[in-house]
Amino acid sequence: MSASFTRREAWRNRFLILPSVLLLAAFVAYPAGFAVYTSLTNEALSGPAAMNPRFVGLANYAKLLTDQNFWRSLAVTFWFVLFSAIIGQLILGLMSAMLLNRRFALRPLVNAIILMPNAVPEVVAALMWASMLAAGEYGTLNNIVAWFGVDPQRWLTSFPLTMIIIVNIWRGIGFAMILMTSGLSSISDELYEAARMDGANTSQIFRRITLPLLVPTIFLYLLVSTVSTIAIFGLVFALTRGGPAGSTELIGIYIYNQSFNSYQLGYGSAVAVVVLVFSLVIGMLYVRALKVDV
Amino acid sequence: MAQRKQTKTTAASRFGLLLVISLYCVMPFVWLLVAAFDPGAGLFLKMPDQVDFSNFFRVFYEEDGFLWLMNSLIVCGGATLLVLVLSGFGGYALSRTQAWWKRPFLYSIILVRVIPPTALIVPLYKVMLTCNLAIAGVVRSVVPPEHFRQVMRIVGFIDGYLGLILLLATMHLPLALWIMKTFFDSVPREYEEAAIMDGATFGQRLRRVLVPLAMPGLAASGLFAFIAAWGDFLFPLTFISSPELKMLPLGIYSAFLRDSQIDYGLLAAIAVVYTAPAIIAFALARRFLVQTFGGGLKG
Repeated sequence: MSASFTRREAWRNRFLILPSVLLLAAFVAYPAGFAVYTSLTNEALSGPAAMNPRFVGLANYAKLLTDQNFWRSLAVTFWFVLFSAIIGQLILGLMSAMLLNRRFALRPLVNAIILMPNAVPEVVAALMWASMLAAGEYGTLNNIVAWFGVDPQRWLTSFPLTMIIIVNIWRGIGFAMILMTSGLSSISDELYEAARMDGANTSQIFRRITLPLLVPTIFLYLLVSTVSTIAIFGLVFALTRGGPAGSTELIGIYIYNQSFNSYQLGYGSAVAVVVLVFSLVIGMLYVRALKVDV
Repeated sequence: MAQRKQTKTTAASRFGLLLVISLYCVMPFVWLLVAAFDPGAGLFLKMPDQVDFSNFFRVFYEEDGFLWLMNSLIVCGGATLLVLVLSGFGGYALSRTQAWWKRPFLYSIILVRVIPPTALIVPLYKVMLTCNLAIAGVVRSVVPPEHFRQVMRIVGFIDGYLGLILLLATMHLPLALWIMKTFFDSVPREYEEAAIMDGATFGQRLRRVLVPLAMPGLAASGLFAFIAAWGDFLFPLTFISSPELKMLPLGIYSAFLRDSQIDYGLLAAIAVVYTAPAIIAFALARRFLVQTFGGGLKG
């Protein structure tokens, strides 16, 4: 290849990637930077600050530290991520993957069933669960628990956080299962055979072989699911809109409510920047964990 | 003997566990499917007295179901198409280039995927507003005033197709770029070099060699982009307000929020219409799932 040809190819490559770079710059990089700037002002959609926003330095961040609602929202998000993504989805997903590792007649069907909640748009998922969790003695969940002698409950009022955790576990089992299945399939059968030869029982095999060899997969899964769970908005917003009394106000919903209901753009942006920084840190861990070679 | 008994209990508990997990996963769907075909459906699950398609008829004839469906298809289809074109070219360039920006660019677009969209929504709104004003200025100067609204509905950034299409495409572009880059990495250069030796121009190489070879990669990135755009709720919620542009998720959300009697049969029917394409696309995309998220983005 001649030098001029190589140079032409290099220019063409730059030209081909340019539209993508422009779009990402306009809709991701610039807004992210702008969020940092807005968070340093007292910008609002209503009131005197709406006319001419002032630069207020770190005042929004100072306010953040003393804002009970912000801390409550962080706590809600923390428990939500911990119990739904890190514990619930992982355990049930791993369990399903191991149970479905062996061939049997109904395996494809069960596989499809477990994946289905993942395929539904989040608004529809919220709608389906609104019916599941409906209060009153005819609600589906109330009918189910009635078999066990439990009285009808107002699920979304009495146990809001637990309920959205259950909904989110439901939604994420399939994804965890897919990852865990791929992790399990990379463990060689010879290891299991050798262990069985040596007289290891099922739980020993699980603790000594399966689990240690799955650690990289689990780690990768935890990073992915943590960031995607922090980002959850529609599923919970459509179901509870953050209520009752902020008990399901995940950080994403909090930002949305602050910005579009309380119209405090500057303050909402400060919260957004905190979330942004946190997600980016996990994202960088993710990039390192992937060990991608480019 | 003891061994056999143990296997039996293991098998039973295995089956029992799977049954419980499956029931958990499938339960919420039951109401939706029953209610959609029950003209007298309510919030509670019950045996329908009568099964017919009247809810679906009402979605399309009484409500604006057809309009919502078309809007969703236009926006998500447009975004998917844009992702395909951009990621096809971009992924190719990223795969073939050895320039200094390759590595930083690829790493930083992974980070785009971890940014929660809600964290960007406020500044995004301002960006969109600025773009919208600029475009409105242009449109006003070239289009007669009586058509101004219609044109803005197509090319506007707030309450318009174009803005939402660009935005959704951008959000799902990073994954698609990675898929295509990884894909082109596995396409031997020799094919292309052979074509170059034969004197093929870039356009010819594209048509005859690259696009046919890239089909599986394009299928994966297109499906993922479509699923993500189709399921998105935050962006339509924030950037669409006029009823003519309402999309399916907003149709469901607003039908759900109606203060007066909620019509659950209707709601379930809209939800089924909205869910069907998502499930089909997901079923098609399933075999790509592990490659894409499983081994991570590894080539």
